[in-house]
Amino acid sequence: MQREQVDPEYAATIFARIARGEAPCYKVYEDAHVIAFLDTGAIAPGHTLVVPKEHAVTMSELSDASAAALGRVLPRLCRAIARVTGCPDCNIVQNNGRAASQTVMHVHFHIIPKPSETTGLQITPSVRWFDDAEGVELARRMRGSLKP
Amino acid sequence: MPETIFDKIIAGEVPCHRVYEDEHVLAFLDIGPLSRGHTLVIPKEARATLGELSDASAAAIGRVLPRLCRAVMQAAGCSSYNILQNNGAPAHQEVMHVHFHIIPKHDDGSGLGIIWKSGALDDGAALAEAIASAL
Repeated sequence: MQREQVDPEYAATIFARIARGEAPCYKVYEDAHVIAFLDTGAIAPGHTLVVPKEHAVTMSELSDASAAALGRVLPRLCRAIARVTGCPDCNIVQNNGRAASQTVMHVHFHIIPKPSETTGLQITPSVRWFDDAEGVELARRMRGSLKP
Repeated sequence: MPETIFDKIIAGEVPCHRVYEDEHVLAFLDIGPLSRGHTLVIPKEARATLGELSDASAAAIGRVLPRLCRAVMQAAGCSSYNILQNNGAPAHQEVMHVHFHIIPKHDDGSGLGIIWKSGALDDGAALAEAIASAL
């Protein structure tokens, strides 16, 4: 199935069902908070999804405990995937919101090996430099917005 | 590991637009932002790639990501965003100290541009088993 053709509601249900063990997946890892399995629309060999069992659509909505559990297991998964694929380089991507290419409305990290320039994640960068005054003001506002 | 600009920022020898700091983690604005609000989250532990990072540092970064995402989006006036973490020069890593990007995706299109070419998974069962065994 093409990624663009996945209906988000259906896909969210599938993710929740996989997390509950009710739907099959190519499982790589599981603990109390996290399940990791192969992406069936892999953009590179070894492309793996790391998903919290807690249901949240975006990272902003996820509990600290689930986010910490996800973070904790990423290094181990990166090492295992690198060992098996023989590819030491990879990108971690986590998309939030349709405008940011999120197609499955349940938080997920992608671990995507980068075996060559044309395989895996391809980034089209466009850098905009800001001046010092703008940076000072923006950082101040973010510090002010940091609530537990 | 050779010292990077991020080590100097952690040591306070190079200034940054600091957003957040705790025992394990520092977050500050990217001075070459892909969009307004582009923030970097780094471990104080000096490691080049995520595969080399300790579980404790990785958990500390994970734990603070939801809070930072909420604050960055509130300040940037934005609701969509990408988190990106690159490992290795071929995967676009430029500073050889682990860092997570939080990149707002604004209505004007500014932010992370990605090309996503879905393929097929032919050997799923064998591959999953191999990775699980390597854990």
